[in-house]
Amino acid sequence: MTRPELWLGATLAVPFAMVALCLARGLRDRMPGLLMLAPLPALVASLSVADGAQMVLPAALLGLTFLLDVPGAMLLGSAALLWSVSGAYAHPFLSGAAHRGRFATWWLMTLAGNLGVFMSADLVSFYVLFTLATLAAYGLIVHDGTPASRRAGAVYIALAVLGEALLLMAFVLLAAGSAEGSLAIRDAVAALPTSPWRDSARALLVLGFGLKIGLVPLHVWMPLTYSAAPIPAAAVLSGAAVNAGVIGLIRFLPFDAGLPDWGGALAAAGWISAFAGAGIGITQTNPRTVLAYSSVSQMGLIAAVLGMGLAIGDASAPQAAAFYAVHHALAKGGLFLAVGLAALSNAGRLWPVLLPAAVIALALAGLPLTGGALAKSAIKAPLGEGLAGTLATLSAITSTLLMLHFVHCLARSGHTPSTRAPPELVISWLAIAFASIAVPWALYPAVLGASLRDALALGTLWQALWPLLVGAALAIALGRRAHRLPHVPEGDVLALAERAAPALRKLAAASERIEGWLRQWPVAGVFLLVLTIALAATLLAGR
Amino acid sequence: MTSTGIFALTATSLVGLGLFSVMTNPQPLRKIIAFNVIGNGVFLLFGVVAHRGAAAGLGADPVPQALVITGIVVAFSATALAVALLLRLAKQTPLPTLGTDDGSDGDLA
Amino acid sequence: MALQTQTTPDGYLLILAIMLPVAGILLSLIFGRWVERIALVLLALSFGAAAAVFAAVWQSGRPVIYVVGGWAPPLGIVLRADGLSAAMMMTAAIIICATGAFAKGEFAEPSRQAEARGPLVFWILLLAIWSALNAIAVGNDLFNLYVALELLTFAAVPLVCLKGSAATVRAALRYLLFALLGSILYLLGAVLIYGAYGTLDITLLSGRVGAEAVAAIAAALMTVGLLAKTALFPLHLWLPPAHAGAPAPGSAVLSALVVKGSFFLIVRLWFDAMPGLLTMAAAQLLATLGAAAILFGSVLALRQQRLKLLIAYSTIAQIGYLFFLFPLGVGLAGSDASGAAWTGGWLQLFSHAFAKAAMFMAAGLIAEALGHDRIAEFSGVGRAVPIPIVTFALAGLSLMGVPPSGGFVAKGLLLIAAVRAEQWWWAATILVGGLLAGGYILLVLGKALGSADRPLVLKGSPSRRRELIALTVALAAVVLGLVPLRSSQLLEIGRLSAVGVALR
Repeated sequence: MTRPELWLGATLAVPFAMVALCLARGLRDRMPGLLMLAPLPALVASLSVADGAQMVLPAALLGLTFLLDVPGAMLLGSAALLWSVSGAYAHPFLSGAAHRGRFATWWLMTLAGNLGVFMSADLVSFYVLFTLATLAAYGLIVHDGTPASRRAGAVYIALAVLGEALLLMAFVLLAAGSAEGSLAIRDAVAALPTSPWRDSARALLVLGFGLKIGLVPLHVWMPLTYSAAPIPAAAVLSGAAVNAGVIGLIRFLPFDAGLPDWGGALAAAGWISAFAGAGIGITQTNPRTVLAYSSVSQMGLIAAVLGMGLAIGDASAPQAAAFYAVHHALAKGGLFLAVGLAALSNAGRLWPVLLPAAVIALALAGLPLTGGALAKSAIKAPLGEGLAGTLATLSAITSTLLMLHFVHCLARSGHTPSTRAPPELVISWLAIAFASIAVPWALYPAVLGASLRDALALGTLWQALWPLLVGAALAIALGRRAHRLPHVPEGDVLALAERAAPALRKLAAASERIEGWLRQWPVAGVFLLVLTIALAATLLAGR
Repeated sequence: MTSTGIFALTATSLVGLGLFSVMTNPQPLRKIIAFNVIGNGVFLLFGVVAHRGAAAGLGADPVPQALVITGIVVAFSATALAVALLLRLAKQTPLPTLGTDDGSDGDLA
Repeated sequence: MALQTQTTPDGYLLILAIMLPVAGILLSLIFGRWVERIALVLLALSFGAAAAVFAAVWQSGRPVIYVVGGWAPPLGIVLRADGLSAAMMMTAAIIICATGAFAKGEFAEPSRQAEARGPLVFWILLLAIWSALNAIAVGNDLFNLYVALELLTFAAVPLVCLKGSAATVRAALRYLLFALLGSILYLLGAVLIYGAYGTLDITLLSGRVGAEAVAAIAAALMTVGLLAKTALFPLHLWLPPAHAGAPAPGSAVLSALVVKGSFFLIVRLWFDAMPGLLTMAAAQLLATLGAAAILFGSVLALRQQRLKLLIAYSTIAQIGYLFFLFPLGVGLAGSDASGAAWTGGWLQLFSHAFAKAAMFMAAGLIAEALGHDRIAEFSGVGRAVPIPIVTFALAGLSLMGVPPSGGFVAKGLLLIAAVRAEQWWWAATILVGGLLAGGYILLVLGKALGSADRPLVLKGSPSRRRELIALTVALAAVVLGLVPLRSSQLLEIGRLSAVGVALR
């Protein structure tokens, strides 16, 4: 077995082996201590495996194929880093908790599915791992058992299952249209333009993956989920798990060929999410909900980049979007860990948490000299100078507004007095904070081929800085009128949907009444006769 | 009308009457009897088929006769099973019905 | 097409497969005190016979045939096991042996020397059901199949009222009467066919049946009669109380195998006996009833308060999927889409059999532990009896169509076939059905995995052996998911209409 295959195999094998170990109760309770080790093979794989290296499983295991290309490697590495650091955070977070073994099991299953998705190169393994990550996350969300987390879990699972169904249909269409029944993603996507179902397949792919990354109006699960899940789970779900949708869009849409209509639609949905997310986020007071809406907004921006790239057939858009997603994963995960730390810290000692958190938050808006600024400049190329460029600048302004609002909410969030946060938590928080700033700098020249000197030029720095200054000014202006903002409940659109619930219940009750009517012998007998006549008639009709 | 025709008509009316009875009579015993009436109609139809398919020299095709004998045995066992269940039900409830009218099945546990 | 009516060298295996369980019944009637031991030995022997038939068909690639008494049709009876029969017999063997292992010791009454009614009846009925299923799988004569069908019904009905309460006796009587109605309609159709074509042998009929009025009426009668026994919507009135009222191993066999026996006959009728008769309109009618069954059954399952009734309504819903075999397996003669539909439909049957058997076993274990099966009071069950809940979850994967499971491959194949046949509405129904199944499965699991407000009082503790047997059956449903996602060679062996049935 060659080196790349070893690491690719270990990426999946290690988490699955740990899940198997969780079957024993004694080992299960010790598992939280080992959570940070599970993603390490994936980290090594993403750093060392060359572009295009692949691993093909033997036919007995269904011939699944795994492949690591540049966007996949970037997302895999950042996800592995986030999972590892959050795992380190989870260990003291869970120490002594009642069901830590169960949490660890769900954690490992979600991790395995999430990391595997970035490497998967055929339809079956992609679907299986995607489903595994999506469904196992439910266990993480409802871990607390509180009514809020159960509600969040119910909404999450309902939408997740819907997304799975859409993707299943899309994959079936891809498989049906692919030449010689090959199930490799590359072949299926290449065969799609000539297939009669290409429009339906593309629509289903965009809808399914769009649901995963939270495009409006399919974003309603995000605010509920991220505020209800335990902190380490919220960090990995918002950072790494949503990137499964990003890699899906990258793999399944033809960026070399280009699709003007679909690209435009995706970009439009992305821009709407970018601004709606920021807009609704400003009205929230829970810092976790603000972060969730920020995720909606940032993922919308990524979708817009991918959409613009798709529309003009720009093959560099996936890499730029992946780069942006890397930074977002690390920064968002770090911010959630900061929220957790703030809840545990004393009021007066909040500055060690608040200051780096503010830097990271503004990095998401594009603060110069941070990784975020690099990310923003990376996506500038696919977006171009016209309307999209202006929208990008506007979104930087609204992001600044949103992030400053977040810092404000964080500063005011409740904290238990006279407790000290365990040092391990602080260490992991600082590690991820550092990574979110440093990693993009390391990746920038290697991956995007642009030079660091250009990034540090004064002109670029000013380009990144002035939207932040405008946003800060808006924030100060808004701060005085904060109480006048409308109150939007968490999961906005969901409140409307929940009003439809009584109608559905009436439908179900009506079904029960029909069932009671069908139970009567005369009715069943009449149906027997009617069916016989109908069947005979349909058979005779063709004569 | 030939005798075969009369028998065929009788058979069909037996089946029809039996079906109607099974559907509309709420009492289980009547349903069982109605099922037997249908069965007799079907066996009569077998006889008609046998008569029509008579080979040279034979009065009737022997295969349907064999089928009818088997069928009578099966119908007899079916009736026996149904009556046994009905007797058991009658011992346990005062008025044995098939319980579909009120929609509830009582405690099935 | 050369019609083989000669006994193949391994033909005796077919007789063994049918008669070994009957031998068990006769021995049990004589030695009633040792019924359980006799039954278990005969179960093992019959498993060997079924496995031998399966191996023979698979390796030789052609059907196994036995001409009874050496008398060829149309006067004699032929037993014929093609690939489909072999698969059906193997599934029945595995599930019935698992049920036997599960039920071992359940009906034993303590310290009674004389034969007890409960265990005697149960084991005899289990053997009888197996014998009848094997006879249905290999029968090649329509009247022989009628007798086998009746045997299946007579063996299944007393299983429903084994517990003896008035409600279960009522449910059993209702089941019996409706099933008898179904079989008498089937017999009526068989009479008409004999009158028109002079034979009841399936192989001979496939050559003789044309598109005449009498064939259409006969086929309609037979199909509707079999539909009543398969409990397809709207003829499903007998199923929920019957399957919910039976004891757990009984429900497992009833839902997994007994309702599938009559479905097997419907397919034999349309695809083997009368291949030229099916029209697209008739196929669409059957599939519409199937779609209605899926939607209706799933919605009603969501409303149930008792676990066993929920599982019974789920059976009604899952049976609906099987009827997509007709428009999809028929519409594209000779293309691989019809092969995909054929494999998908049968894989759905087999994986549902395993999944439903496992589910009823798990439900039985939970009811044994809690003393009741009201879903609303399931909080904390997940911690009290974890293995049955895991079994339920694994079986639920197959019902929902979540990978890896046989249900996923089956639904995937049916979806591919629906897409290729351009019949989008069936694809949409399959997906909605999967979502609704997810609804009721997650409803139960969510309740069970939640933590209890007050500690659960366990009325009994199920034995580890029985929990593991149920888990193994659920794993079998998952293992079926490793079947590759294309049409199966095994199921095509010996098909009389090998190039696919053409529509008129």
